[in-house]
Amino acid sequence: MAEHDLEVQEALARDFQPAMEGPLVGEKRSSHAIAEEYAKADPIYVAKTAALPQKYSHYRPILGDGNCGWRATGFSYFETLLALRDAARLEEEIARLTSLNNLITTVGGVEEWLFEDMVAETISLLRDLVTTMQSSPDAAEQLLLQRFNNPEVSNAIVYHLRMLASAWLKGNAAIYQDFIHGDLGVEGYCKEWLDAPNQEIDHLGIMLLIDVLLKPVGFAVEIIYLDRSAGSQVNSHMFQDEEDGVPTNPGSPIIHLLYRPSHYDILYQDRSASLPLQQPVDDVVRSSDIQVNRATDFTKHQIVQGSTTTLNDFSNLDMNSLLSIPGFCPPPTPSHLGFPAQYTSIEPSYTGSQLSASISPVSPARSPGDVSNLSVSAGFPSQQTANLISPTLPPQHPAQNAFPPSNTQIPIHGHGPRLHPISPSLPAHPSLSPHAPDPSSPSSASSFRPSKYEWEAAADWQEPVVFQTSTFKNSHYNTAHYNNPNFQPEEWNPESEEAESSRGRKRST
Amino acid sequence: MNYEMEDTQNSAPGSLPPAQAAKLGAPRRAADAQSTTKRLQTELMQLMTSSAPGISAFPSADGNLLSWTATIEGPDDTPYAGLTFKLSFAFPSNYPYAPPTVLFKTPIYHPNVDFSGRICLDILKDKWTAAYNIQTVLLSLQSLLGEPNNASPLNGEAAELWDKDAVEFKRKVLSRHRDIDDE
Repeated sequence: MAEHDLEVQEALARDFQPAMEGPLVGEKRSSHAIAEEYAKADPIYVAKTAALPQKYSHYRPILGDGNCGWRATGFSYFETLLALRDAARLEEEIARLTSLNNLITTVGGVEEWLFEDMVAETISLLRDLVTTMQSSPDAAEQLLLQRFNNPEVSNAIVYHLRMLASAWLKGNAAIYQDFIHGDLGVEGYCKEWLDAPNQEIDHLGIMLLIDVLLKPVGFAVEIIYLDRSAGSQVNSHMFQDEEDGVPTNPGSPIIHLLYRPSHYDILYQDRSASLPLQQPVDDVVRSSDIQVNRATDFTKHQIVQGSTTTLNDFSNLDMNSLLSIPGFCPPPTPSHLGFPAQYTSIEPSYTGSQLSASISPVSPARSPGDVSNLSVSAGFPSQQTANLISPTLPPQHPAQNAFPPSNTQIPIHGHGPRLHPISPSLPAHPSLSPHAPDPSSPSSASSFRPSKYEWEAAADWQEPVVFQTSTFKNSHYNTAHYNNPNFQPEEWNPESEEAESSRGRKRST
Repeated sequence: MNYEMEDTQNSAPGSLPPAQAAKLGAPRRAADAQSTTKRLQTELMQLMTSSAPGISAFPSADGNLLSWTATIEGPDDTPYAGLTFKLSFAFPSNYPYAPPTVLFKTPIYHPNVDFSGRICLDILKDKWTAAYNIQTVLLSLQSLLGEPNNASPLNGEAAELWDKDAVEFKRKVLSRHRDIDDE
């Protein structure tokens, strides 16, 4: 992109004015408010913000006082910790943050008496959250919001974070110094960008803060960039511990930050906030409810926007909710910006047929121990299960990455036809399922961590098999012709009729 | 003073209506004083126990901890050697997240100080950090006496003389200097 294009974009993007008055940390609200805010902006913003609420149901505005990025990240840190409902985890963080004082004094070169009051606010908030949480989680959330809206407390915590980032940079200068622009040097950068009390966070600052505060506690951060770059979808970037591009902690809670030029707000992918059509039978059904909720949001969206919604939006929305169905896997797309395909925005151009072709419900049946049946394409979808769930896991339910695979087919068949435009084809592709690796226990799918080699094999699997051509409809491979959706015509032979008939969820061998 | 805000802080968790939450975000003046006061008390302790030579500072006599008086001695080998300068510190309610306002009370002839005593020093403006404190400010001012920043002078004549005519500069310093009594 030409440099002056960037400048033009920046100038236009600067038109956005973050709130300069109001609470430091606002109440959580529907992210449709963002779309409304941009309803009269130019088409790029309209398209991007219209698509935003489908993926991120809520947002929390942060005051644009020069500390928004620090405050948003800090607040999310506490909020995500709180959502774990794990007092031991909070105690660990108290210990860890206290021990980091040593980093600030020895590496950061700041005498302890200068920052101990700030650390005291952080620690006291953690302690108060521990005690309040046990009696009333709601009160703990209110306490958190209240403290962060008290400038005395809030600014102390924010400055504590600045000092942590500053000391972390000084202690790991070799890793980060190439990110420092110009001839500032590490010391100069710290003074100018980190230690100055109202200096907004820059990219390196966010990186440092994530590395010192969030990665050690296992939180990933997704930054969603709302700018005028081309496309109808916002770009996003995932910060998390990775090894060769594969997240080392796939089930980790994810903090979503919305970045608009020089301003940060918090976004949420909230599952728990919606009500109608609830069918909470088990975890898997709950994940299917996402579709229901998103569909509800969609309707509301239509009312608000009046005209702009298209089927594209809807198919995009479905893709996202589908990601949380165990066993479902979209066709892998080439990595975007070096990040795994499932984190890039999913283009609305995917058709339903492509989707359905790649769905592979994890079969509850124990597959025969015939290893030769395990083709790469069959193995890939189910092995991705754990990974695919993680990006959409609600932080409130961290334990739910243990979706038991045994119920997978029930919700898909039960909900699909009613709620999902593409789902009528769902039962028509089970040919992959018996090939799925045998889950030795119901929870094995969740604890699976794909090795990078399998990942690469999967990444080569560019073209999904499209079963929906008219040729296929007439083919004897089309299982729609058979009463048993699990029937495998290419596997069947008369001699094994006896054995085949016993295949199913009650099969025990 | 915004008493409403303090009431809000004392109320039970969970009872924060949005309207009041909005007020909490408004810039506060006196309500910030609690942590600021604590910090300034700590600074006083530090200055009393481990004071650097040639500088001193103490809260003003009126009991307002947000207002201090300080002195620095002119460093040897500078035109200011042997002279003592009084300064005033006014701390904002959100100190240390904002710098104090520091003025020379003693008249001083210096490239970076104007005739009202206002100082041009980056750490008292945009380069301020919350890790700075009274002592570091005083030490910075002391070194400013020996190493003025002649690139951005408040007193252009002084900046010019500093480079061109050390004798005349010294004469101007001494003629301008006047010991002031406690006010």
